[in-house]
Amino acid sequence: MGTMKKLDPRTKLLLGLITIAAVFIAQTPVTLILEGAIIIILLFLLETRSKLLQIMHLVFPLVVLIAIVSFLSFDRPAAFLISMRLFNLLSVSFIFFHLISPDEIGIALRKIGVPYAFVFILTTSLRYVPMMRQKIRHIMDAQRSRGIDLRPKLKNAANFFSLLMPLLVQSFLLSDELAMAMELRGFNRQNRSSRRQYRLQWMDYLLMITLLSLFGVFICWERGVF
Amino acid sequence: MIQFNAICYRYPTTQWVLKGIDLSIDKGEYIVVCGTNGSGKSTFGYLFNGLIPHFFGGTLKGSVRVNNADIKDKRASDFLSTVGLVLQNPDAQLFNNTVENEIAYGLESLGKPSEEIDKRIYEIARTLQIENLLNRTPMELSGGEKRMVAIASVLCLDPSVLVLDEPYANLDWEGIRRLREVLRQIHQSGKNIVVIEQLMDCFLEDTTRCIIAKQGKIVFDGPSQAALNVLLKEHLLPQYPPRRNHRSPGKDTILEVRNLSCRIGNQPIFKNVSFEVKTGEIVAIIGKNGSGKTTLIKHLNGLMLPTGGEIFFKGKTILGRSPAEMAADIGLSFQNANDQFFKSSVKDELLVGPKQLGKKQDKWFKEVCDLFELHSLLDKSPYLLSEGEKKRVAISSVMVMQPKLIVLDEPTVGQDGHFREALARVLTILQDRGCTILIVTHDLDFAHATADRWLLLRDGNVVTDGSPLSFYNDIIYSKSDPYLN
Repeated sequence: MGTMKKLDPRTKLLLGLITIAAVFIAQTPVTLILEGAIIIILLFLLETRSKLLQIMHLVFPLVVLIAIVSFLSFDRPAAFLISMRLFNLLSVSFIFFHLISPDEIGIALRKIGVPYAFVFILTTSLRYVPMMRQKIRHIMDAQRSRGIDLRPKLKNAANFFSLLMPLLVQSFLLSDELAMAMELRGFNRQNRSSRRQYRLQWMDYLLMITLLSLFGVFICWERGVF
Repeated sequence: MIQFNAICYRYPTTQWVLKGIDLSIDKGEYIVVCGTNGSGKSTFGYLFNGLIPHFFGGTLKGSVRVNNADIKDKRASDFLSTVGLVLQNPDAQLFNNTVENEIAYGLESLGKPSEEIDKRIYEIARTLQIENLLNRTPMELSGGEKRMVAIASVLCLDPSVLVLDEPYANLDWEGIRRLREVLRQIHQSGKNIVVIEQLMDCFLEDTTRCIIAKQGKIVFDGPSQAALNVLLKEHLLPQYPPRRNHRSPGKDTILEVRNLSCRIGNQPIFKNVSFEVKTGEIVAIIGKNGSGKTTLIKHLNGLMLPTGGEIFFKGKTILGRSPAEMAADIGLSFQNANDQFFKSSVKDELLVGPKQLGKKQDKWFKEVCDLFELHSLLDKSPYLLSEGEKKRVAISSVMVMQPKLIVLDEPTVGQDGHFREALARVLTILQDRGCTILIVTHDLDFAHATADRWLLLRDGNVVTDGSPLSFYNDIIYSKSDPYLN
């Protein structure tokens, strides 16, 4: 997997997008199961055991919930297709974010011509997710220490307002400070340079061509051309 | 080099914050600007590179000239290589995913070629001794490390003036010592340094000039050695009430922590921690940032469950009790007051706890308001209070539940001398009324002024337990890491 990490961010982005598209395009149960099997093997290869458990902890309840809802609303084959597709989609996203950092997504988007301001908003919001999670934990601790019950029960629904307000206020404050920090570091200056000079190598071209061809074959197969 | 002429300023929605500032700064000075909360000192810092008026708007009278350029004619980003401003909150200042990208950001803004950027990153990391952090994510770093990275991110642009807004806030004694060394070194390399602080601690001797601000005006401007009397008079150096003789604690044990262990993921935070607190004692848990102090107190009211050991409150185990149930017995007040405000008035905010517990005691409520001087604030919105007032409300909101044991997490962080003195007084009054208090802090002066007993937490263990006098001198006066002694 070392080679994967060395690839140009554009190649990784393309790889991610094609794989996600392949999950959406797959129509038959056989294809979905095949895709699922490949994804599971990749997960085992890439993630550590604890991380894998964490991922499954997140993915499974959601997949089971969707399976039940779609079984009740439609029928068994539809429920299978929908939940299998969801499982594949979520797992592929985990693999994608394992291989590409938010910064690399930013670089790739900038290289293909997306405006810098948009790229910055995207990558920064991804980066602040863990910090927001930490803030929520702090707020919960402070409120629970004041006797506010925040356990997920219906009677506590109103108490969650005590979580929301401080979070909103602090997010506004943070965004103000962030804007100031960006101004201080020359966010608005023209003619930015880029420290990392990425050039597409033969490996990138080879992989992109192979991927696009395979994707083409896959579409034809799904459409029953063969 | 920098000239402030008759500066008056107000933000778009406030009264005049600065009211006639005249001063000039020459090359090679190391200046400390100090003042209490609301003295206008941070606002003063924003003038150095034109954040005021371009970013904040508002009304600016007078002129500021930096290297003969008027700040009104230029934006902050035009001053990148002249003035480096390090903000108070490093979480906002550090917005890249690795430390090296963080340092590179400003250089990229200046359009520097990649070879030069790499060279500068390495140079600056070596100067500040942060080479080992270059591949880390800024968000994972400790407070002291974040501060160093924030300094590196502006210092790499080689500004001739470095302005730092409250750089010492939230640092433990080791972090303070490191930062002092680094700033001295930067000053010696020929740069101007302006440190904006609300509390003058140990670093006064490093500086060449002291400016004291009060309500938007300069009340002292002169050599640092001559500033001491004014600093004391303005309570910028807190003057705590004289220490009382060590009080003999009550006989009853209110809290017993027995062989408590905690592990988060694979990381042990502390192991086999044991101590007792007697009724009526004030105990300080001291330790460096990251020593597990806050994690330890989160176990006391069930916010976290231990991986081993037990906690007894008044002889009964707390196992199985939820934090909401524990709130009537143990009141925990955390560091950031903003984490808890969600009501539109201070009064409603204070009544949240008692309502949850179903006990509303008007007499005690009034007493708490008297003690923390809250009567004039009751109808105000908690969001619009000053930092000191917010903290008073936050601590009171726990006090009004009348817990038997009060636990304060870093109560002095970000607070000025006035607040610290007042809090020390209030704690002694509470002790006289029979309250038991546990203070978690790395503010050794405050711990010395208030606590009867210190517990030193190191490497996940309580390593010393005793009277402050037994190890205070070693920590303070040797001015070195107590862990090395």
